[in-house]
Amino acid sequence: MDTNEFLIFNKGNELVQQNFIPKLDIKSEKIEEILPRNLIRDELRIPDVSEVEIVRHYVKLSKINYGVDSGIYPLGSCTMKYNPKINEVVARMTSFSQLHPLQDENEGTLEILYEISKMLGEITGMDGFTLQPAAGAHGELVGLLIIKKYFETKGIIKKKIIIPDSAHGTNPASAKMAGFSIIELQSNEHGEVPLDHLEYAMKQGDVAGIMLTNPNTLGVFDRQIKDITRIVHEHGGLCYYDGANLNPMLGICRPKDMGFDIVHLNLHKTFSTPHGGGGPGSGPVGVTNEFIPFLPIPCIVSTDKGIICNYENHESIGRIKAFWGNFGIVLRAFVYILSLGADGLKRVGQIAVLNANYLKTLLKKKYNLPFDRICQHEFVLSDKYLPNDINTEDIAKRILDYGFYAPTIYFPLVVNGALMVEPTETESKNSLDKFVEVMYQIYDEALNEPEKLKNAPSNTPIGRLDAVNAARKPILHD
Amino acid sequence: MDFISHDEKTIADMLKIINVPEVDDLFQDIPKDLIIKSLNISDGMSEPDVLDKMREYGIKNKIYPHSFLGAGCYFHYIPSLVDFVISRSEFYTSYTPYQAEASQGYLQAMYEYQSVISRLTEMEVANASMYDGSTSLAEAAIMASIISGKNQVILIEGVHPEYIDVVKTYCWGQNIELKITSEDKLNDVLSEDIAAVMFQSPNFFGDITDVLVMSNKVKDKYPNCLLIQCMTDPTCLGLLKPPGKTNVDIFVAEGQSFGISPSFGGPGLGIFTAKKKFLRKIPGRLVGKTKEINGEREGFMLTLQAREQHIRREKASSNICTNQALCSLSALIYLVSLGKTGLREIANQNFQKAHYVKKAIASIPGYKILNKKPTYNEFIVRCPNINGLIRECKKMNLLPPLQISTYFPEMSDVVLVCVTELNSSSSIEKFITAARLAINNETECAN
Repeated sequence: MDTNEFLIFNKGNELVQQNFIPKLDIKSEKIEEILPRNLIRDELRIPDVSEVEIVRHYVKLSKINYGVDSGIYPLGSCTMKYNPKINEVVARMTSFSQLHPLQDENEGTLEILYEISKMLGEITGMDGFTLQPAAGAHGELVGLLIIKKYFETKGIIKKKIIIPDSAHGTNPASAKMAGFSIIELQSNEHGEVPLDHLEYAMKQGDVAGIMLTNPNTLGVFDRQIKDITRIVHEHGGLCYYDGANLNPMLGICRPKDMGFDIVHLNLHKTFSTPHGGGGPGSGPVGVTNEFIPFLPIPCIVSTDKGIICNYENHESIGRIKAFWGNFGIVLRAFVYILSLGADGLKRVGQIAVLNANYLKTLLKKKYNLPFDRICQHEFVLSDKYLPNDINTEDIAKRILDYGFYAPTIYFPLVVNGALMVEPTETESKNSLDKFVEVMYQIYDEALNEPEKLKNAPSNTPIGRLDAVNAARKPILHD
Repeated sequence: MDFISHDEKTIADMLKIINVPEVDDLFQDIPKDLIIKSLNISDGMSEPDVLDKMREYGIKNKIYPHSFLGAGCYFHYIPSLVDFVISRSEFYTSYTPYQAEASQGYLQAMYEYQSVISRLTEMEVANASMYDGSTSLAEAAIMASIISGKNQVILIEGVHPEYIDVVKTYCWGQNIELKITSEDKLNDVLSEDIAAVMFQSPNFFGDITDVLVMSNKVKDKYPNCLLIQCMTDPTCLGLLKPPGKTNVDIFVAEGQSFGISPSFGGPGLGIFTAKKKFLRKIPGRLVGKTKEINGEREGFMLTLQAREQHIRREKASSNICTNQALCSLSALIYLVSLGKTGLREIANQNFQKAHYVKKAIASIPGYKILNKKPTYNEFIVRCPNINGLIRECKKMNLLPPLQISTYFPEMSDVVLVCVTELNSSSSIEKFITAARLAINNETECAN
């Protein structure tokens, strides 16, 4: 394949008919007479390209890109499940896509926002939700700001947050953005939070709470979860649930019952909205009753006058995004929940875990599995004991050669050379078996033909790229 | 419908390989009392049933064929090819392109997006996107504080009120002191301790600032103070002098106008750009061009990731991870579809049509245009009978302009009118008629 498709900027400057602008049917004036010359732009370096050329250019680019619709996408902690097409159809209905955020006569949309808040409440056990956050990390920031505001309101100074070393990188970054410093807690030999260390850290006095994902990034459900949340609460702290790994818990168990006060969800993971190459997402935040007053404004509330938006909330952390959050994404998640219903959601949790354990059982025959337990949605292999100095990156790049996407690599940091695999519930057994077959074959190559891995990928549009040079002399635009 | 393809026999076969008797045994680590029986959510539905239900919600929303409402979210024409391209599932069902060799298509598109935004704004660096305009402005304030080591920022009145609220929340989180002032009083609050001055142009009320004058005013005395400009409808860049030509340090905008539906205000697109010297403090993803390690072919990959949370954790320049990639793809397709000729013409039409309406409204006795500066596609008007105007607009099937009192209760008789290229002369004439009729109905309304 012609790899480096010419940039769009190298195409154009043809005579192109403008097809996207209505006819100017009012009397116009000379711009210079109504706008001072010094405010007017000179050059504009964007080419004119014909519609056919543009469509062909991007269709060609799409062909050298991999999506869930191309095949298994086993990225750990990313929950790359199938994105149902009906979600897209609904999001494009004029009655939703053409609705202005500042208009009234929007009852249909307010009802949807209210309904899905209730549904997410049922799924997580939480009592109130905000749908404002635009992504998971944005939700984390909101959750941490709620914690900050809660203690500020009480006049208590708490400056630290406990975060296990297995946490997603967004956790410490979000805590920092809310003004906290971080106490990192080392996982124990089971990949769980060591209770004695936790208690010691909490006793320091100015700890606002803990951020935890459960199951954690090793795919392990922390068996002592109730003790963890109890200890944190006993020392006056709050418990934040990072919902990035909620998928295997759907219909099985709920963060509030585990003892959490605040939770964020990733609708673009658990609730099937497309990742879009890295967004847009949506990261609703749910809280127990005590924290509802701190939720961002505006809130959707049900009154005897119907469902309305409430802007008055004196204890609120304030506004965290213009308008209403990523409604188009929330809408897709709503359609997903309607489609699946209670039983479907429970089956998601069950089959996500079944698929992960099936893959794990087969892959550990060839690859090192540092935490060998029943896993939940994902599991982590490592490159330990691989022959001929083959490392995780070599494996990942060779997987691409076989036409699959690679697992998450070198994360979580608690495992050296990690390969983090999350198949999700929507992969068939056949698809999983094919992936296993490829992984076995790659292991054999590592033994017998290691250069095939070292030189991988060789079957992709381009070979391994020079990251060092890219960062040293950044070229960020043409 | 659960989109799962296993039948009972498959499940049994898989359990045998895992070597557990039942699916429930896979949840043995979860304390028994945490396991729930069932969710109180209705049964699943088929596609046609879901669609029926969604249509029922849909008809409770009123969609108007013509709009005079903007205020941060705009109706512009979206070329048909935009949705066609972003609906290629290789794009929309992909993840952040961590594996560059399997993601060259999207990476190149992201690189092209950064390029087209750089070209449009004349700023030296553009990132691969942020959540929206409001959070971009808030992140810009934090970035300025990190760069300067100072914790005070100034915001000039006229920024979108919802953006101001978001900036307030972020600044509170980071213990940054936010000072809000009018442009006239800027000199009184400027000092050595200020990290940045933030302003919007064209501003919320429609006023276009002479940015060069503003930047000189700030930089002459305080050369290290950063100038941060934001914008809610960057189609104006087809006409107005871009921030890269007026000494702006960080420029952010809401990119919804570029091929993205209003969709009740989200998802939109956060455009984030800066001078090159601040590159390593920029939040969000960046795509760079590089070469193969063992070859000469050029390719694209995520770069400068040492700024980002997954590498730097609490030392990252921001916590942002998921951004608005697919919306940036819409913006890219939109901008290249229009090209320079189209972008100039779109801006011209927005300007001309809004100017036409402004003049026509000003000529109706009782109405007063309140803008003192030139405007682009929005302007504010004091109305003799604001409720009458809203009612007449609705009667004529026009989405009425924003009542400014939504944000500024003291301005109870002022509307913010938005006119774009989509307002044909017939809708414009209807609006002018509505404004006239509103006066005639004044007595009726007073009762």
